Amino acid sequence: MSERIKEIVLISASPKVEKEEPLSAYLASLEERRFKSDEFHVSNVNVRQCVMKNQTEEAFRTMLATDAMIITFPLYFFCLPGLLMRFLQDYDQYRVRQGNVTKNARVFAVVNCGFPEPEINEDAVRVIKSFSRRIGAEFRFGVLIGGGGMILGAKDAPFMKKVMEQITDAFDLMREDVLGNGETPLGNRYVSVRFPRKLYFFMGNYGWMSMARQNGLQKKDLYLKPYRDRN
Amino acid sequence: MKACIISDGEYQTETFQNLNRTIAGYFAEKGFETVKMQVEIGDLAFCKGCFNCWVKKPGECVIGDDISRINRTAMNSDVVLLLCPVVFGQFSANMKSVVDRWLPNMLPFFKTRPDGSTMHPPRYDDYPKQIMIGFADDLSAEDMVLFSDITKKHRTNVDVLFWMDSESDTRRELDAIRLERAGGQL
Ligand SMILES: Cc1cc2nc3c(=O)[nH]c(=O)nc-3n(C[C@H](O)[C@H](O)[C@H](O)COP(=O)(O)O)c2cc1C
Repeated sequence: MSERIKEIVLISASPKVEKEEPLSAYLASLEERRFKSDEFHVSNVNVRQCVMKNQTEEAFRTMLATDAMIITFPLYFFCLPGLLMRFLQDYDQYRVRQGNVTKNARVFAVVNCGFPEPEINEDAVRVIKSFSRRIGAEFRFGVLIGGGGMILGAKDAPFMKKVMEQITDAFDLMREDVLGNGETPLGNRYVSVRFPRKLYFFMGNYGWMSMARQNGLQKKDLYLKPYRDRN
Repeated sequence: MKACIISDGEYQTETFQNLNRTIAGYFAEKGFETVKMQVEIGDLAFCKGCFNCWVKKPGECVIGDDISRINRTAMNSDVVLLLCPVVFGQFSANMKSVVDRWLPNMLPFFKTRPDGSTMHPPRYDDYPKQIMIGFADDLSAEDMVLFSDITKKHRTNVDVLFWMDSESDTRRELDAIRLERAGGQL
């Protein structure tokens, strides 16, 4: 029995513009690898690019017609970055202007954060769930990743093998869910880097110091208080 | 005493007008000098996660737009009010840019809180009292709980209220808050 090809949109939403590749973009490329097959037609949306170039309309049209979307982004102050809110808020208005058309799309969230605890991404996943409700889509589950700051640098190291497998397993579960029109509720997946917390902090703090030094600053400069008139 | 009131120009609804009037009236009666700042679409760049506010120009955002004036005014006030349209259970896009770009006001280092969670330490010795007031025309109970969780769970020195179309309720809730600066734990 041959089913029609499913449409899937991978929405990659890191606000970063610097040369450094955002973790969210890397995760979206992994998603693409898991979904690329005869059964899917995959579209990619780079939120930063399409918002900055005022080219959201094509993305919105694709989203309206899709069977599933995966929204991949970093945690900013325990919820969605301003950039992604702009995109989703505008999409919601576009959808309403188009006469509220919704296909019962499935929505998945992939959130990574800088702190080690993956659970702090839970509220951001709930925001995506609320968005899904609002647009008449069905939220399925989120992948919550802690320790995002070290994943790109360490992803090929042996101690990261398990973590990377957990991530790709979660993407495979999304794939099965879309293909099989799964109806049973699926819980969020939590991924934490197996790395001593103290060492993670030490490396992070060391990293800030060495970046500051490269910018010609000294340790005491990191503590400046420029916005306070008297302090 | 100074109060800084930040609002979102994209949501000029009747609900917002009522809330705004109530807040302005309340703080004027209490003798506060108030500064109003309304953020329109396109006024503020999106935070681009460069962390240069930590490692290049510590304490200042390197994007040269209105955020420096907003942060400076907020940091030198006794009370900062964010009148927040609640969208999908969180800050609207314009308000979220204000929140994201608060990052320079904290230090980069990682610290463990008494409850075991992680935080960045405060940059300043004390901070304005922050009050976030959520509103929406169709605020669901679920989105209210979510907004509270996002704003309160991870911060101290922040009070979160919801505008429920009642001036007297909001006034009573404000009466219960200490309207003054407080020391650093964010
Ligand atoms: C404005 C801002 C706010 C952030 N807030 C949080 C936060 O609340 N919790 C956290 O763990 N990480 C926070 N981070 C760190 C990012 O989530 C982290 O660097 C992430 O790995 C970036 O992913 P990306 O490379 O896909 O952009 C924040 C970063 C920025 C720039």
